[in-house]
Amino acid sequence: MLNQDAIHAIILQALNNINDERGPDEQLTVGLDTRLFGADAVLDSLSLVSVIVDVEGAVSEQAGRDISLTDDRAMSQAVSPFTDVRSLTAYIELLLSEQA
Amino acid sequence: MNPTGSTYAGKLALITGSRRGVGRLLAEHILRNGGRVAGFARGEATIEHPDYHHFQVDIGDPASVQQGFAALKKVADAVHIVINNAAVLTSQYAMIMPPAQAQAMINTNLMGAFMVSREASKLMRKGKWGRIINIGSMAVSLEPIGDSVYAACKAGLATLSNVMAKELAPLNITCNTLSITAIKTDMLAQLPGDKIDAVIAGLPIPRYAEPDDIFNIVDFLASERSSYITAQTIYMGGVN
Repeated sequence: MLNQDAIHAIILQALNNINDERGPDEQLTVGLDTRLFGADAVLDSLSLVSVIVDVEGAVSEQAGRDISLTDDRAMSQAVSPFTDVRSLTAYIELLLSEQA
Repeated sequence: MNPTGSTYAGKLALITGSRRGVGRLLAEHILRNGGRVAGFARGEATIEHPDYHHFQVDIGDPASVQQGFAALKKVADAVHIVINNAAVLTSQYAMIMPPAQAQAMINTNLMGAFMVSREASKLMRKGKWGRIINIGSMAVSLEPIGDSVYAACKAGLATLSNVMAKELAPLNITCNTLSITAIKTDMLAQLPGDKIDAVIAGLPIPRYAEPDDIFNIVDFLASERSSYITAQTIYMGGVN
């Protein structure tokens, strides 16, 4: 199973992919506390979608099983899994532990 | 006329409903013109060509679509063009339309196109280039008796296309709808010939569509030069 570090790496890579498409003056500060969604989010809506698609694909590929980050359950969590990198990591760990 | 060329060289087109009718015609057209084609259909392949890859997919079933894309990714790392062509048609007065047939039309004609566009756009995103072409119908404009659900699905398809056009424009992916008139296919053969003839007689250009009429518009929408054309519906034969 993917460990926490591996999931962090996948999410940070997805954020770096966004940076690759941005100009030097528009670079995101990428780290575990990067806000993905909500009032202080650094991502616009399409960038968030891109991160979700990249992370979903990479986790599914590396874990060897499909996961969905956008089903009803994800959307109905008391704290959004997309708040920041740590919360998204925790949600992915939860999904992977249940499917194992 | 079936010219050969390189219009589609370097491009992979995913066509739903590629076994027969318009889907098969378009698949063969793109293959003749240098492209690769991935075909999604419920049945087995009817096209044999080294650049044709067939996947047995029921696009009315979201899980089947996702399985189809998983299989597609094993033979291709990109999809450049999607032609959402697959459709089912039951023409019947609404009061006696079997609900299961109505639901099947919604599942395939609308939800299927959504799922295929959804998954394909994830692949197109990486290449920052894509063309999604939805095959609509003159039924949206003509609103023929018996086609309540079919016409509603095709109207919905154009709206789906227009909204996705907005979402995908930043990724250089265009979404357009080609609303075709009657063309002599298996689907048309299900309908009473005299009634279709009467509809055709009432069109500004009163003839059946020919394959090249469709190829012409698909080539146009799929071309490099059409990057500034999105969220449009093109009717044929003078329907508007």
